[in-house]
Amino acid sequence: MSPDHAIGKSLPRLEGWEKVTGQCRFTDDLSMPGMLYAGVLRSTVPHAELLALETEAACRLPGVVAVLTARDVPGHNAVGIIVRDEPVLVEDKIRRVGDPLALVAAESKKAVAEALAAIKVSLRELPAVFSPREAMAPGAPLLRGKTNLLLHRKIRKGNVEEALARAHVVVENTYTTPFVEHAALEPEASLALREGNSITVWTSTQNPHFDRGEIASVLGLEQNRVRVVQQATGGGFGGKLDISTQCHAALLAWHTGRPVKLVYSREESFIASGKRHPYTIKYLSAANREGKLLGIKVEILADTGAYASYGPGVLTRAAVHATGPYYVPHVHVDAYAVYTNNPYCGAMRGFGVPQVGFAHEIQMDILAEKLGLDAWEIRSKNFLQPGMETATNQLLRQSVGIGETLRRVKAEVTETAI
Amino acid sequence: MKKRGWGLGCMWYGIGNTGLANPSGAFIDLLNDGTVILLTGCADIGQGSSTVLAQIAAEVLGVEPGKVRVIAGDTGVTPEGGATSASRQTYISGMAVKAAAQQAQQPLLRKAAQLLGVPKEELVCRDYKIFPFFDPQRSVPLQEMIRQCRRAGEMTLGHGWFNPFTTGLDEETGRGSPYATYAYATQWAEVEVDTETGEVTVLRLIAAHDVGKAINPMAVEGQIEGGCAMGLGYALMEELIVEDGVILNAGFAHYLIPTMEDLPEIRAIIVEEAEETGPFGAKGVGEPPLIPTAPAIINAVSNALGVRFFSLPLTPEKILAALAKKEGQQGRREAT
Repeated sequence: MSPDHAIGKSLPRLEGWEKVTGQCRFTDDLSMPGMLYAGVLRSTVPHAELLALETEAACRLPGVVAVLTARDVPGHNAVGIIVRDEPVLVEDKIRRVGDPLALVAAESKKAVAEALAAIKVSLRELPAVFSPREAMAPGAPLLRGKTNLLLHRKIRKGNVEEALARAHVVVENTYTTPFVEHAALEPEASLALREGNSITVWTSTQNPHFDRGEIASVLGLEQNRVRVVQQATGGGFGGKLDISTQCHAALLAWHTGRPVKLVYSREESFIASGKRHPYTIKYLSAANREGKLLGIKVEILADTGAYASYGPGVLTRAAVHATGPYYVPHVHVDAYAVYTNNPYCGAMRGFGVPQVGFAHEIQMDILAEKLGLDAWEIRSKNFLQPGMETATNQLLRQSVGIGETLRRVKAEVTETAI
Repeated sequence: MKKRGWGLGCMWYGIGNTGLANPSGAFIDLLNDGTVILLTGCADIGQGSSTVLAQIAAEVLGVEPGKVRVIAGDTGVTPEGGATSASRQTYISGMAVKAAAQQAQQPLLRKAAQLLGVPKEELVCRDYKIFPFFDPQRSVPLQEMIRQCRRAGEMTLGHGWFNPFTTGLDEETGRGSPYATYAYATQWAEVEVDTETGEVTVLRLIAAHDVGKAINPMAVEGQIEGGCAMGLGYALMEELIVEDGVILNAGFAHYLIPTMEDLPEIRAIIVEEAEETGPFGAKGVGEPPLIPTAPAIINAVSNALGVRFFSLPLTPEKILAALAKKEGQQGRREAT
């Protein structure tokens, strides 16, 4: 490519200089005249009926400007990208440790901490459930509605029983993966400013236009009254796709008429934010004597925690990708996302695929071992190519580079072998 | 004893939201000094999308990428770009930017076509010049064409949007085309395992990723290296301990993530199987790099020790327990 082309060039970041010299301003670097600091009172129990919040003492503390509860939400008291099932401030039911109960805005961080400590919470604890298998059993404590099952996604292609009958080798294992924290360098942060009947929120986010819609809904405003400005963002990895500080800062700014900044500590970021879903995966693979995959049967059980967040999307993606980058004629996948009283799980880099990727790749190595093949050979016999159909019967026409990546890695290994 | 082994991990990853419309839009304003303002809803969260989108606009308009000022993720002025997720922004916002830039340059092409006496479809914009593709010497300056447009009362503005072709999934069978395109990858890991302590040292990672086209190869390598680091953490370290709904390790003192000390040499290999619906053939690379890393590492540990593992993260405790169990079994076999 000739030098005057702009693409295919390893250019440094446009904003790189500002970032490495510390001139780039993240949300917590912003401040405004008259700005208040904010904090969130959170639940310390996983499942309870919220009976009352006594806020008078907190309100009377010096420096405290506002203490807000669910009553103070002018619009819709719920957020969520797929299902709006997460209260902005809990009205009646606590579903996880970390649920937001009340907000404080004050002249100093110290006053915020004192006010949070002065709010009295009365609640009645409810039996809780912490495992998706138990949450699906009859008689399990319910987080909402009539079932804890959020999603059951099915992929059906061919006839797996037939594949099993013809298989030379069948491998079945159960895989488990943990809750994972995004651990972005910059914790969640927002600064909100009300001007008349409009509001502007500067925030650390992966999805400013979604934030705009949620803030508008919570404040009961039309969307063009809300401006969300994505400030320089110190990583997200999926953890800044959900609403965190945006609506809380906006609510406080709306009520006080003053700029309000809300920034999570690292600990609050851990407690309040979504996680990578832990999976239990039962994975059965069947192959013929030559090492061609004939079928897979997979059950994915995911703990989606207390709120839906991106859970349905994560589990759907996991189901669609369960074969790995291989042609499999017979596929039977069931993926379940189940509510529990654990921290909620949502999007995290890979969106449910790293979990199934772990399972299908260990399966491939075990199949290879049983068939007397090596790790390269079994993959080379099965990778997807143009003209093949995926597990969802999608015909792949072009740009299918899995074979080439395998060849390039093998060449690199061979060249650099000592 | 220290034992070495190697392992493979492969992956595929659909670009964009699963079976859903997920469009992105962009606005372009080509100023009369040849600089560009690009308005995009795409949030750059440190991955480098603003730089990549500037490169796409610059390629279309024939200007330096450094002269494209990107204003991103401000709902007061930018159109919606959708979430920075699903490895979708280079592909989807990239196409939106390309379309917006092409629209902004139409008045210039019409003017240049008149001056040069060739159809505008035969013109190329590069290095601040507009010329027929068959005769680069016969060129007109870009800035002059912009000024002529302004004098004639014509603005050089563009808007564009793109939505990848997808279909929803059938409720009962999952049948459908959930993504317009997929990224693919293979990673290889070499490890050393200390059988006394259970510690795993990753010695080397080789990661080949089919990204369609690398708009910015250094940025792609950055994503690959960062993904490998995150995947290494997923394989060996990271676990949020939750008991009765309470997180017991809510902080970096007890929740371990990899540091530079833990990272091996990472050899990133860019594979370019051009995607015909993407900007200049590009697909995406944001999430894919961490997906194959954990299985490659776990398979490498199994290769070193002759024991299989089914649970992440693979901590030293799990390795020592598995080795003790294996020795116990061997001991029993030898005794009988």
